[in-house]
Amino acid sequence: MKSLDFSQNYFELFGLNPDFNLDAERLQARQQQLLATCHPDRFVNASDREKRLSVQMASWVNQANETLRDPVKRAAYLLQVSGVEAGDQSETTSDTAFLMEQIELREEIEACRGGDDALNCCDQISLKLDHRASQLAQEFVSNFAARNLEAARLSGRKMQFIQRIQQQLSDLQFELEDN
Amino acid sequence: MALLQISEPGQSSAPHQHRYAAGIDLGTTNSLVAMVRSGETSCLPDDEGNRLLPSVVHFAADKCLVGSSALEMQLLDPLNTISSIKRLMGRGIDDVDRLGEVLPYEFVSDSQSQVPRIRTNAGEVSAVEVSSEILKQLATRARLSVDHELAGVVITVPAYFDDAQRQATRDAARLAGLNVFRLINEPTAAAVAYGLEQNAQGLFAVYDLGGGTFDISILRLNRGVFEVLASGGDSALGGDDMDHALGEWIIDQAGFEDLDSSLVRQILIAARNAKQALSETDSTKISIQHGHQQWSGQIKRSQFEALILPLVKTTLKSCRRVLRDANISRPDIAEIVMVGGSTRIPLVQSMVGEFFEREPMCDMDPEQVVAIGAALQADVLAGNNPHSDMLLLDVLPLSLCIETMGGLCEKIIDRYTPIPVARAQHFTTFKDGQTAMSIHVVQGERELISDCRSLARFELRGFPPMVAGAARIRVPYQVDAEGFLSVSADETTSGVVADIVVKPSYGLTDREIENMLRASMENAREDMEQRMLKEQQVEARRVIEAIDSALLVDGEALLTQTEIERIMQYRNKLEASIETAGNEALKQMIKALEDASEFYVAKRMDSSVKQALSGKQIDEVSI
Repeated sequence: MKSLDFSQNYFELFGLNPDFNLDAERLQARQQQLLATCHPDRFVNASDREKRLSVQMASWVNQANETLRDPVKRAAYLLQVSGVEAGDQSETTSDTAFLMEQIELREEIEACRGGDDALNCCDQISLKLDHRASQLAQEFVSNFAARNLEAARLSGRKMQFIQRIQQQLSDLQFELEDN
Repeated sequence: MALLQISEPGQSSAPHQHRYAAGIDLGTTNSLVAMVRSGETSCLPDDEGNRLLPSVVHFAADKCLVGSSALEMQLLDPLNTISSIKRLMGRGIDDVDRLGEVLPYEFVSDSQSQVPRIRTNAGEVSAVEVSSEILKQLATRARLSVDHELAGVVITVPAYFDDAQRQATRDAARLAGLNVFRLINEPTAAAVAYGLEQNAQGLFAVYDLGGGTFDISILRLNRGVFEVLASGGDSALGGDDMDHALGEWIIDQAGFEDLDSSLVRQILIAARNAKQALSETDSTKISIQHGHQQWSGQIKRSQFEALILPLVKTTLKSCRRVLRDANISRPDIAEIVMVGGSTRIPLVQSMVGEFFEREPMCDMDPEQVVAIGAALQADVLAGNNPHSDMLLLDVLPLSLCIETMGGLCEKIIDRYTPIPVARAQHFTTFKDGQTAMSIHVVQGERELISDCRSLARFELRGFPPMVAGAARIRVPYQVDAEGFLSVSADETTSGVVADIVVKPSYGLTDREIENMLRASMENAREDMEQRMLKEQQVEARRVIEAIDSALLVDGEALLTQTEIERIMQYRNKLEASIETAGNEALKQMIKALEDASEFYVAKRMDSSVKQALSGKQIDEVSI
């Protein structure tokens, strides 16, 4: 049984370039390839030690995949690999314009609730949020490429805020569809 | 890390010897066992050719009957004939009361054990023991069919089974003397059966409508890899509800008034028979004879369909939700796998087909498909198929959390996270000098601990006293490939370690899980408010604690009696209102107390600076 090298970073583990834009299919293929060798199902008849190691390896591969698959986590991880911590979860933005935008988006979502065609209203906002998310992702990419890491960190934070609003919208969509 | 010497994964030490392994579907109503023999996978019949073994056990003083012979004893000796035991797996004594109406047994009240025990002629038995009798019977059937010992088995469990219920299933297998390779989820097993036997690819929806539960799962199949994306359902909805709906119709038509339990049983049996007949024909005859009360009549398929329509619609609602959870739109689904006897009903098939805009797959027997999938997985795990690239990747069915101050949940691992998974979080102490900490692990989707299901509690003791907030408690969760959780905790600055494996005494009721999931959506708003209030309460206690300990140290040295009384007045007012005041009111009272003690805080700082400086040379304090 060959152990994975736990000192690799997630990009190294998956054999990917440390870029924000990555090949999702390749990530998935590589994850399944890794799990095919280290998943605990491959060690059902092995010793306890090997079983434990396989659980650790598979957990690590899953953790790496979860991190790289999600754009917000991937951005934070890229920064971390570059020596910048993403910062405290509770840190608030000091960008007043962005703050206002967030408040407006939340208000728009709440306004859908009582409207005539609430689901359609949600769909519209959803498109807008998707667009905003990819804008911010691009902002992150160019800041990161320019090695402007503090600016990249702030773009990453904004992506996280937008993701939270997307979650809030999706909760409302659930609620509306159920009734 | 050095290379360890072992044989290739999945290969036994004697590679040429076939290792026999069986797949077991341990069901609420019926159980099955399947095996791969000479390359063919099939469910094994008993001597009379029946593949289904009723999940019923009869306990007599000297022997124990399992299956149809036990079922025959149900009317004669109901107290010693145990059925539907799956509902009690992993459950605690508290749960029994809630399940009392479906399980009319005599439970032993024994404060020694958390596990409910049923009094029978053969002594007291637990759910684990009853299940193990069923497993023994199935394993014997498998052994006899190949005239060989079993190397191991794969047992299926519902996707929503929690840690406690899975543990109980494993315990039952151990009691039956079986080596369990793996527990796998029922929908995954069904997908394996279709995926391997029919060589299908892409996104699969597994629609499983059994006697008492409904399950919907979405899986991705890609070159032998089966990946669960999401699962959901209704753990209190199934074919039994259809029998009830039809039963009520019969009572209504017949105008029966004196309903005793034996008449009700007869009506339900007639309803079930009619339901099954209506899957084949357009109309069927029903007749009931019970003393002077008798009735016979005719029911058309369309009438029956009108009765069950609301039930089928409810299942489609769950389908819609799970698609959203998996972030998948309906046309992306390549195949729909039908599982469970109730999917034989034409209305179910047509409505499911309409919903997914695709004909559901009914090529395999919906009652056997789960056991077949389990047998295929067992064969691979036994090492008979060294070149198989089959791999099952599952997810955590319910979020895992620990309790933090104020009865709040801190989510550590979200549901639908692929397993195995490890995650850690850091916590700190709440009081000065706190040397122990209790960790409470729960499972569920709600924000308040009291709304989730308790899995286990453990304590971390003996770390050195520090000021509040200085200790760093690291709590890593490890969930293995079967969904079993182990938790440990250590204080990172002192290295004190406490290790436990979560071995809980009870789990969630099926209905509780469903209700919790539903409630977590409906109550998201209410939860937020509750959460804010709880946080405010924690803050209030923290402020009071800080004031008290400060006053104890230097209150009398730094303050006049009047000043102390003034602070105490605000402090006592706040303390008296913690449990009763609302969020805003508490916030204001905390602010008032802080304002009132502001000058005291300033005095303390002055005084501690003076203390630090006293007795020191001026050059020692220069910066």
